[in-house]
Amino acid sequence: MRILLIEDNEELAGTIVDRLRVEGHCVDRESDGNEANDLLRHSLFDIILLDVNLPGKSGYEILRSLRARGDATPVLILTARSQIDERVVGLDAGADDYMVKPFDFRELLARCRVLARRRSGTASNIFVAGGLSFDRAAKRAIVAGKDVDLRAREVQLLEILIDNLGRMLTKEEVADKLYSFDESPSMNAVEQIVTRLRRKLHDTPLVIKTARGLGYMAYVADDE
Amino acid sequence: MALGFMALLLIISLLLWNYARGAANRTYDLLLAGAALAVLERVSPGPNGPSIDLPSSAMEILALAPDDRVVYRVFSPDTGVITGTTDLPVPSDMALQATPVFFDAPYGDPFRFVLQGRQMNSPDGRLWVAVQIGQTLEARHAQQLSLFLNGMTGLAGISLIGLGFVWLAIRRALSPLRQIEADLSARSPGDLTPVEEASPSEISGLFDAINGFIVRLDRNLKLTEGFIADVAHQIRTSLSALQGHLSLAVDSKDPKKMHARLVRAELQAERTVRLTNQLLANAMVIHRSDRATLKPIALKPVVRDTVAEMLRDSRMRKIIVTFDADQVADGEDIVIADALSIREALRNLIDNAIRHGPPDNTIDITLGIEDDALALKVEDAGPGIPEADRARATERFTSMRQDTAGSGLGLAIVQAVVDGHHAKLRFGTARKGGLSVMIAFPRAIGRAATSLFIIIALALGLVVPDGAVAQTITIFSATDTPAMAPVIAEFEARNPSVTIVYEEYQTVALHKAMLAGAAPDVVISSAMNLQVDLVNRGIARRLDMPEAEALPEWSTWRSELFGFTFEPAVIIYNSELFTPEYLPKEHRELANFIRDNAITLEGRIGIYDLRGSGIGYLFATQDAEQGMQSQRITEILGQSGVRTFCCTSDMVAATASGEISLAINVIGSYAMSLAAQDPRVGVHFLSDYNLVMARSAFIPKIAPNPAAAELFVRFLISEDGQHVVATQSQLIPILEVAEIESWAFSQLRAQKGSFLPIRLGPGLLTYLDNLKKSNFLEGWDASVRRSR
Repeated sequence: MRILLIEDNEELAGTIVDRLRVEGHCVDRESDGNEANDLLRHSLFDIILLDVNLPGKSGYEILRSLRARGDATPVLILTARSQIDERVVGLDAGADDYMVKPFDFRELLARCRVLARRRSGTASNIFVAGGLSFDRAAKRAIVAGKDVDLRAREVQLLEILIDNLGRMLTKEEVADKLYSFDESPSMNAVEQIVTRLRRKLHDTPLVIKTARGLGYMAYVADDE
Repeated sequence: MALGFMALLLIISLLLWNYARGAANRTYDLLLAGAALAVLERVSPGPNGPSIDLPSSAMEILALAPDDRVVYRVFSPDTGVITGTTDLPVPSDMALQATPVFFDAPYGDPFRFVLQGRQMNSPDGRLWVAVQIGQTLEARHAQQLSLFLNGMTGLAGISLIGLGFVWLAIRRALSPLRQIEADLSARSPGDLTPVEEASPSEISGLFDAINGFIVRLDRNLKLTEGFIADVAHQIRTSLSALQGHLSLAVDSKDPKKMHARLVRAELQAERTVRLTNQLLANAMVIHRSDRATLKPIALKPVVRDTVAEMLRDSRMRKIIVTFDADQVADGEDIVIADALSIREALRNLIDNAIRHGPPDNTIDITLGIEDDALALKVEDAGPGIPEADRARATERFTSMRQDTAGSGLGLAIVQAVVDGHHAKLRFGTARKGGLSVMIAFPRAIGRAATSLFIIIALALGLVVPDGAVAQTITIFSATDTPAMAPVIAEFEARNPSVTIVYEEYQTVALHKAMLAGAAPDVVISSAMNLQVDLVNRGIARRLDMPEAEALPEWSTWRSELFGFTFEPAVIIYNSELFTPEYLPKEHRELANFIRDNAITLEGRIGIYDLRGSGIGYLFATQDAEQGMQSQRITEILGQSGVRTFCCTSDMVAATASGEISLAINVIGSYAMSLAAQDPRVGVHFLSDYNLVMARSAFIPKIAPNPAAAELFVRFLISEDGQHVVATQSQLIPILEVAEIESWAFSQLRAQKGSFLPIRLGPGLLTYLDNLKKSNFLEGWDASVRRSR
């Protein structure tokens, strides 16, 4: 993956870059907000790791102009401020995830993998995770080389889950996305569709986690 | 400031100027009044009308104002000026009265006049004689100016002295403040001993407040110092361990041992990171509970979002999490709280479960209602905390297990949040065997919902303030029900929300009931003296009604008691026995008339029983005020075997049937209405004077429904109400209602000049004095019962 790290602290930046390179990623690093902003105008990356406090432009400003240009590259915010309010600002500004310093490198890598998965699942038509391969255009899922028989709602649900990998969706959110405005969704129906899809994807690394009272979250087990 | 003082000075000057004029007028009006009295005293009837022997004392009294000119005249409205200046001015609307009337009028120079009249008996009957005396204003003006200047001088002196005292007092009162100022500004920041100063009691509260604050500051500082010492110790220890592992790793020659050291160093670094994070969180939570950051928030979304956020952590993949808030409806989860602190507490509880429990732990989060509290419960299936250790679990730096890298701060943070929210923290054993932690927040919903309901209800008009709700008012009244029924019916028709309960009383019984503490909404009675007595006791409510301005002055008192009928005392007679011409014309002829017809009238005259009838007593005493002849009449009535009656209707009936021939001082309203229907009953007015009483109403201060009661009284005296009285009841309205033609009204108009209204006021109290009353009634008994 091609990753851009925007971080002004030399020590921290050095360790992150080293760690990511060890994992086999291609890492660029910027320490100045303005320069990073200019770079993002011309170059494409798979993931951006963005510090908030930067010389020149702040992380939020960079993020805002990135999204304003219509660039959907996943952004993971790195911040030393623990107050939730500011995190929300970051997410509202269009960030995909955030981590508070100091963070565990393993957790950082895990989050990056989730973002990359989500990005590839959305950007390309083919989503691959272990033995599972899902073709959005053809609405076909193949597990271990065999076609899986998916109903229309199940295909829709799979798309929704892939678009929101690693993110908790409430049952109501799922229902709203599954059903059009004039259909009246029943929560039981949603539960049944989830159960059926989970059974059909049982042997794949794509896990649909249910948290009762909260909702559903899909993640790829191999990644962790 | 100066402007305000000038304005104040101006106002005081104006007030003082007016006061001085009033005082000067009062002083010199006494001279005028004294002179007028002296003159009137010397008026006497003569063969050619009244005459006057002008007393020298009158002029001497007036001469006490030496520089003023004097004019005077004595006159009778009937016979013209008797003596003095003929063309003295009198305001056109002024009626002759027995009390002195003062007024200013120009007569060349400005003059002040007194006008006072007196009724006297003459061979031609009763007639008015009046004196008018005028005086120029020099002495008054001099007096006014002198009073004003003296007042202003005194005021100025006192103001200056007062200002001096104020200045001294302020300096003296504030001197302890200057000492505090010096004390506080000279202090080093670390000196937190209390301020010691003998303070005057007025500002001892301030001293207590300052010292109280210093004590709290000191305590807080000591706590902070303790915390910092703990933190320093913890972080240094942790960093030392990290440093130790790293330096051993650097020195190690064996790559395997070096790797092992590094692994331990990394673990130690992890602990240090967590410790630091927790310390910062703890400080943040404590800091936020100090500041007033609490506001009403919905707890459910805060809990849900926090858990959803934590689920992104890859450590939670295998952990089963449930959230149950079904017991709490939306809107029932409002607590006064700080969302950030609650997130921190919940995060620590979940983190504890992850850290201390198995990788496939189950965490059940429940939001429920327990009694008056909103209970947030976090339960897990981990090892839990033994019951014996729970009490010290929330102490700082007390980690229950060394092997799980606990900082010993998680539950301390939770405890701090709980304390900052006035919530309760309870530990228990979870259903799945692990620890159960419950935080019970006091609910804001109870109070808020109630007040919200009231606001909404008010907005919808469900709860209507006093006024438009159906009301019942109770009237206690000494007036025949049929006489009042039409008025009440009309009032109820116009005010559908008000229902009237009417209770009829005799005048004396009503008076007694009121003295005993009865609480009707309106009290109505014909006994003016008893009504005045009640109002004089201060039990009536003051009513500011625009309608009352139209009432004659004699029929209201203190804006509390209002007369609403006009009821002359009349003589009724059996018209088959007498013709009107045969009856006496004046009071003084009445005695002779009875004596002349002694045989025919023996046992055939009716009067009220004064002991049972309030109205009878009122008329009798007012007659006695008019002169000696009433005593004579009473005696002659006694000799003629007069019969006493309780009430008007009985007397009218007896007269109609011929049982009696004549009844004296009967209430004219009833008599005239009955006479209009029964030709055998005649109504006779005397030409010298006819007493007039007014039926009056007041609202007691303790009336249960004063607003509705006021509506009723306003209606009674309004033009509409008076019209109903005139047209539909047998009573006679106090206002002259135009366009009504009836026998009774034409009779009244014909007698207009002879009416002598009884004035509502303290004058009626004279005959209510116990001794005076018993003397009067004994005299009456002696006269009336002599025949028996």
